[in-house]
Amino acid sequence: MKEKIIQTLRELRNYAVEKNYEVAIFYQEEDSYLMRFANSAISLNTNEKLIRLYIDAFSGNKKASYTLITDINKIDEMKQGVDTVAEMVEHSQPLSYTPTIPVFKGDFIDEEGFDADLAYISNAERLKFFNDASEGMETEDIKLSGIFSNGCNTLATINTKTDHVLYFKLSDAQATVVLSHLKLKWEVSAEQSAQKKFELDPNKLNKDLSFLLDRYQNDEPQQVPLGEYDIVFGPAATADMLSMMGWIGYSGGSMKRGFSFIGEDKVGEKVFSDKFNLYDDPSRLETFPFKQDYSGIERKEFPLFVKGVFQKFVWSQDDADEFGQEPTGHEVMHRSIVLKTGDKDVGTLEELVNMPREKDILYIPFLHYMNIVNPSKGVLTASSRFGALLLKKDGSVVIPYNVRLTQSLLDLFGEKVAWLSKHETIFNTSMSYGIRNPTALVLPTFIKVDGLEISHSNTSY
Amino acid sequence: MLEQIKKNIERIKSKGATYVDTRWYPYEEKNSLVMWNGNLKNNEFSRESGVGIRVLYKGAWGFSASSDLSDLDAIYDKAYDNAKVAAERVTFPVRLAEKDAIIATFDSPNKINPFEVPLSDKVAFMKEVDDMLNKPGIAQRIASLDFVKKQIVLVDSEGTEIEKNITEVFSQMQILGLDEAGESHTRKFTLGREGMMTRGWESIRKDLFAENAERIVSEMGEILVADPCPKDNRSVIILPDMMYLQTHETIGHALELDRILGYELAYAGGSFVTLDDFGSLQYGSPKLNARADATLENSPGSFGYDDDGIECSNNMLIDKGVLVGAITGRQMVEEANAKSGKQIFKESGGTNRATSFYRVPIERMTNINIDPGDDGTLDDIVANTEKGLLVSGEKSWSIGSNREQFHFATESGWLVEDGEVKGMVKNPTYKGDTLKFWNSLSAVGDKSTWKVAYIDNCGKGQPNQVMQLGHGVPVCRFDDVTIGE
Ligand SMILES: [Zn+2]
Repeated sequence: MKEKIIQTLRELRNYAVEKNYEVAIFYQEEDSYLMRFANSAISLNTNEKLIRLYIDAFSGNKKASYTLITDINKIDEMKQGVDTVAEMVEHSQPLSYTPTIPVFKGDFIDEEGFDADLAYISNAERLKFFNDASEGMETEDIKLSGIFSNGCNTLATINTKTDHVLYFKLSDAQATVVLSHLKLKWEVSAEQSAQKKFELDPNKLNKDLSFLLDRYQNDEPQQVPLGEYDIVFGPAATADMLSMMGWIGYSGGSMKRGFSFIGEDKVGEKVFSDKFNLYDDPSRLETFPFKQDYSGIERKEFPLFVKGVFQKFVWSQDDADEFGQEPTGHEVMHRSIVLKTGDKDVGTLEELVNMPREKDILYIPFLHYMNIVNPSKGVLTASSRFGALLLKKDGSVVIPYNVRLTQSLLDLFGEKVAWLSKHETIFNTSMSYGIRNPTALVLPTFIKVDGLEISHSNTSY
Repeated sequence: MLEQIKKNIERIKSKGATYVDTRWYPYEEKNSLVMWNGNLKNNEFSRESGVGIRVLYKGAWGFSASSDLSDLDAIYDKAYDNAKVAAERVTFPVRLAEKDAIIATFDSPNKINPFEVPLSDKVAFMKEVDDMLNKPGIAQRIASLDFVKKQIVLVDSEGTEIEKNITEVFSQMQILGLDEAGESHTRKFTLGREGMMTRGWESIRKDLFAENAERIVSEMGEILVADPCPKDNRSVIILPDMMYLQTHETIGHALELDRILGYELAYAGGSFVTLDDFGSLQYGSPKLNARADATLENSPGSFGYDDDGIECSNNMLIDKGVLVGAITGRQMVEEANAKSGKQIFKESGGTNRATSFYRVPIERMTNINIDPGDDGTLDDIVANTEKGLLVSGEKSWSIGSNREQFHFATESGWLVEDGEVKGMVKNPTYKGDTLKFWNSLSAVGDKSTWKVAYIDNCGKGQPNQVMQLGHGVPVCRFDDVTIGE
């Protein structure tokens, strides 16, 4: 299939060259499977196999794009697409800058992240994984929900400036298992992601869920009083906050457009806690990395914050073109975000719950429906969900009704950070709005931030 | 093609499936244009076609989709196989509410096909909008045009044959300004129905954009020098360009029957509403009348027939404050009635829709509307407000997983004191508990305040589906609301 894709792209490129078009062609093929569970049943079992072709045409300062869902055998339809966008660009309007068509130095083929066994796992195996993960936990009132999503994503690009091809093929699987109480409306969840089939471990999910389920069934739920708390965030919550930072923090384009809380003058300045070390590190294979971006720029470890000091903005090709910057190798579907671990020896929820403590600690593993209240100040808001715990200083555990946090990233990762766990967790954030995009972050398993205000506290779930 | 589809439906039925349907999209075209600070950053056109097939086997769904129609039989077989495996874990066997077999066509109302308008006209329009926004104090200007045109053919094993031809037009302009401290503030105008009864290119009215460009630029000037929003409790008066989102998030999503039944717990969340609540829950004050009206003329929430082949209808959700209905489809009404042991729902409300051929239909909002009330005009409501905050234009929204509480930030906010609108405030926000909030509804504006807003990006489901819909809403006032947090 690889040869066929590359050959098709070359044929399209040659067609464009012959017609004197300037185009860049981007091929995306996905084969996705999703088994979805609700009310302890399979509520949907689906698959989609789609090939999308994105064609950009350039003419001096003008640019136009055409996308079609097509089939690898429909070369005439694809050529028609090339003609369409070449026609479109002539009627487009000149930009105030010249968009770059990248020149690739050579072919680049990366299939390291592909595992056929994982990509094409069978329906029966998906079901067995879920049955094992939830074994012994469902009751009349406690119902199973969740997803098992797996598939394969192939990306390839070529353009009329070069006949070299960049080709990436990735597979991934992601499982989310949710147990919810039908009447009381609480929910606990556990997640797992894999790049290779052998990494799938339903028993680990079962163990994580059993622990939480035990607490939720036996400990007393209550409304948490409003006020300041020392909060321990789990990896899902941390990943969500860092994803927002990628958008309203260190993106050069966002900064130039006024959607960032980090100004141009902050390069080299201390922004966060000196415990905060954030990198974009494509050498970490767990992150489904791109080792080259779509402009053919080699991607290396890229420090974003070192000891809380801001290092540099990232520039996509288009932003770099518009704002007269050098592109930084960030023309990719996702970055390889790594938050370095700290020195606190707490690696599991059980250890966290059993840790001696001088004050109550609110444990928030997951933040639901995060949104940006004020980008200039980095203010986010979100609610707790899925397995939050209030760890009382006397050693007891209370189940808190959901609470809302409205906080600035400057506080969440600033001087209020007490510690980061020395243990690492890979957290999958592949949940995408449109096309499959296997993504994971490398994070400390827990982060403790002191003195954060809870602004809203539910009276029930 | 139609013959092949029908033959395959029969073939899969003969293998034991109780229901089979096919949505065939001969084409779906999209054209998206974004002009940013005068630069035509996006000039995109897309085209897709394919089929999506649903099979119900022993009470379980299987679905399969493909754009490659060269081996149609294989797509049906895949959907059938997917259903067979799903049938190994069934707790409540899916059954579908009764319906009539409909053979019909639906065409959305439009005069000028936006896909036949030359690009140069579209660019010229955006350039004009950009010029209108290019004023002192405005740091960023964004204008966008989005056009969709699609044909959907639905055929099912119960005799349904429906062809839908839908054209949609969406447009927005937005500005950003930086205040003295370097903090950014945004203000936008989103095209709604604005009295227009068709939605082709003709709905892109220059006068409308000119009038609103002037308004948002002038508001921005005031926002940049405004005082911060105070932190206290007071009345909040919500204009339709924010009221639509309040309705969307805390009535619309909360009343999707699949959410209520726990089908979205893996991701989007549940609802605080239970089956016992229908007919008795005091959702809001007696001033609240809400409905799901898919018959509203000219709105993306009116689409003729849903993807179960049910004709669009107009159903009460909340009647004088009491919860009476939900956003429903064939599968969920059966399950809800069975689980509650009574007939809450007479029939499907016709709201099952898929975002594309390759996604499965789920319950989606149609036009979730609030009826106009008898508390007069906006001026009347302001005149009757002692201490309030008047808000307009959504900036951020975050809602609890059971839709039980929310936090909203808006672009514009004006303090109201002793019946008069005072100056603007910066970064207005308000929050609340859903039921307490709706029960504090103390004024509902009359027909003069009622507007239809369009939404083109409502997300739901796994894999995620983005849907288009509408909200017809009046100006509303709520009392004792926490603001400024
Ligand atoms: Zn929505």
